[in-house]
Amino acid sequence: MRSTYLVAMRDYLGYVTAWGFWLGLLFTPILLGIFMLAPALAANSQPARYFTVIDANGEFEQSLLAELNSITADAARISLDPVNAGQGNDSEKLKTFDDAIKAGADPQEALKAAGGANIALASPDYLPVPPPAATIEGLRPYLDGSQLIETPNGPQPLFAAIIVPDNGGEIQYWSENFQARDLLTLASNAEYKLARNKVFAAANVSLDIADDVKATRRDVSRQLLRDDPATTGSAVTIADKAPFIVSIMMAFMLWFLIFSVINYLLMGTIEERSNKIFDTLLTSVKLPNLLAGKLIAVLALALTLMTFWGVGSATIGLVASQNFAPEQTQDIMIVLSTVLKPSLVIPAVISFVLGYLMYGSLFLALGSLCDTIQEAQTLMTPLIVLLMTPLFMLVLAINDAQSPIIEAMVWVPLFTPFLLILRMPTEPPLWEVLVQLGLMAVAATLILYLATRVYRAGAVHGAGVADVWAFFGKLIPGKKKMPEQS
Amino acid sequence: MSGVLPLEMSAATKWFGNFRAVDGLDFSVPQGSIVGFLGPNGAGKSTSLRMALGVLNPDQGEVRLFGKRPNLNTLKRVGFLPEERGLYKKMSPRQIITYFARLKGLSARDAKARADDLLESMGLSEFAKSRISRLSKGMAQKVQILSALAHRPEFLILDEPFSGLDPVNQMALEEMIVEEHKRGATIVFSTHVMEHAERLCEKIVMMARGRKVFDGTLEEAYGALARTVKIGVESDFNLRAALQASGFDAVRDKDIWRVTLPNGRDSQAALRAAIDAGAPITSFVPEEARLRDVFISRVSEAEAQDLADTLALDAKTAQEAA
Repeated sequence: MRSTYLVAMRDYLGYVTAWGFWLGLLFTPILLGIFMLAPALAANSQPARYFTVIDANGEFEQSLLAELNSITADAARISLDPVNAGQGNDSEKLKTFDDAIKAGADPQEALKAAGGANIALASPDYLPVPPPAATIEGLRPYLDGSQLIETPNGPQPLFAAIIVPDNGGEIQYWSENFQARDLLTLASNAEYKLARNKVFAAANVSLDIADDVKATRRDVSRQLLRDDPATTGSAVTIADKAPFIVSIMMAFMLWFLIFSVINYLLMGTIEERSNKIFDTLLTSVKLPNLLAGKLIAVLALALTLMTFWGVGSATIGLVASQNFAPEQTQDIMIVLSTVLKPSLVIPAVISFVLGYLMYGSLFLALGSLCDTIQEAQTLMTPLIVLLMTPLFMLVLAINDAQSPIIEAMVWVPLFTPFLLILRMPTEPPLWEVLVQLGLMAVAATLILYLATRVYRAGAVHGAGVADVWAFFGKLIPGKKKMPEQS
Repeated sequence: MSGVLPLEMSAATKWFGNFRAVDGLDFSVPQGSIVGFLGPNGAGKSTSLRMALGVLNPDQGEVRLFGKRPNLNTLKRVGFLPEERGLYKKMSPRQIITYFARLKGLSARDAKARADDLLESMGLSEFAKSRISRLSKGMAQKVQILSALAHRPEFLILDEPFSGLDPVNQMALEEMIVEEHKRGATIVFSTHVMEHAERLCEKIVMMARGRKVFDGTLEEAYGALARTVKIGVESDFNLRAALQASGFDAVRDKDIWRVTLPNGRDSQAALRAAIDAGAPITSFVPEEARLRDVFISRVSEAEAQDLADTLALDAKTAQEAA
């Protein structure tokens, strides 16, 4: 035990005193945050794009401007009452806002009328400008950027031109950028509503009919079968969704932690091999103690990361929660309290330990065969693919944790650590959970045993990457010898 | 402790695939001795020492360290310097010596104190907290040697300790070995530089092609080689013919005749016989026995034997195939 502790302590201190560790500790959440916020940041940072409409009678143009306004109005509704607006429910505030819009107020005014916070709504992504020319030939230099149009923000390129023919033919959308489809979609919606209004008018049907339809339709609400007959049939709440949200978060955290720290095992072992230090170590420590020390050191490293990131997230969450509505805070508390549910946390802890053991042992064994990181890369690809597979499963589970592919893959011990957690909220039969945990434990023991043998071969006998290829070469029927590798 | 040999190997054999790296090695290391483990590159010295430490298990035969199979308890009494040097490059000498001393059982406080003492004794105090990666190769090697000594082992196994060291540091290491011996440590070191063995060792074990080719004291080693004298004569004189009647054999080597001394005859007898034979002597130099010559002779014999064995095996195989 003492030697295991000494090895673990040396390795752990070696890792945490390296500047690379602190760089990863600080920058990983920042990079993750940027990665998650990037689409929103990109959308917010996009400068307004200018478009023009050539429309003789102006009907289409009006319809399009109304569509653009509705986007700003939607954003205003969400800022006014995020919970109800997000879930499509009505509230007093939202009704006041909608009435103000119907009365012709712009979204900023309607927000004020409904008692919303005095915030400036984001400026629209697309702004109309008068046509600088009457034909597409005349518009061409503006569209290709060789000529700029005058705007309140100074001369700018023309992003798009929409030409509405007088004779009722198809509407032409001209733009050099054929990938950005937002304005094109808005134009289609505007034309649909314009056509609908015309048809209603021709049939002497009031436009209020459409609103009546919306108002009188019946909601399709999700109901849940519950153990308690008294509450069976009540609507799905955030408390019902929380286990799924938490299980996905846990599975991702587990994956991310393993993926983040496993490299330390690989690099540490390569360093020891390349530094020719194994013989000295093996005359002082038993091989299993040496491996245990190494695995414990990196596990402690993972827990250090988890603690730092957990405390950091909690602090940021606490500060941010000052600005949350009470309903939002309540929802967050419901989700957080689910983390401590034994049905989730026990399988999660077992999965983390066994998953770490399996992948950790594999990377240790791999490192013991390599003198350089370049050598390791040749063997790492299959392991990385193996580690990436559960990540794809996570994406699947977000939509359906009971997907047949997840239910099948959870029986593969290398994927069980991640997928078992995902399945726990679906309340699988207890025997399945126990068998899967058992299989995982057997697989972890087997992998640890094999990894110890490989580690011994690498550390003591100097086996290398070439020997691995030679081993696999022997498995191929008819192939007796592999070409020399190094 | 008395009476138990620090190391005994009996018929120890080690195979790597189809290659027999060590073949039936028998030898023992007496308590309190300094034993030189000599052999050319690839002779099987390092494999033998790794078997002695239990890093490798013999495929046949037996290894006993302090009377037992090598285990962590017996290994706590052993200090080992491997042939392939290596240290954690991001650690300091003080940290490394302390770490290995603690692994061998010293308390944290004792290990640190010992590290400081050792570093001071080797003049490395000012580098105690520098990273190993910033030290010269020689300094790093000293640190590794100190790591092997940190827990005051009873038995030191040093694999090629002198390689990579400059002459000054080689001398310092020789002094260190003598000091450790005076302290009571038993020492085995492997080398292919005979001078170190001649200066330090009481007992020599020689290996070639995985087999032991000599095991004995230095005197026995010298005695194992035919003694010679070099006699210079005027150019046309045939000393071989002149000494034949006296029972001496002489071989011409340019202007010099190398005369082999049979058992019981000394160099003076050879000189007297030459004078009596009327040889016009121009020089006379008795040759001192050198370990290097014993080594070359024994290794050459082993290689010749090996070649003969291979040829015999090939012939037998061809015969069987026919």
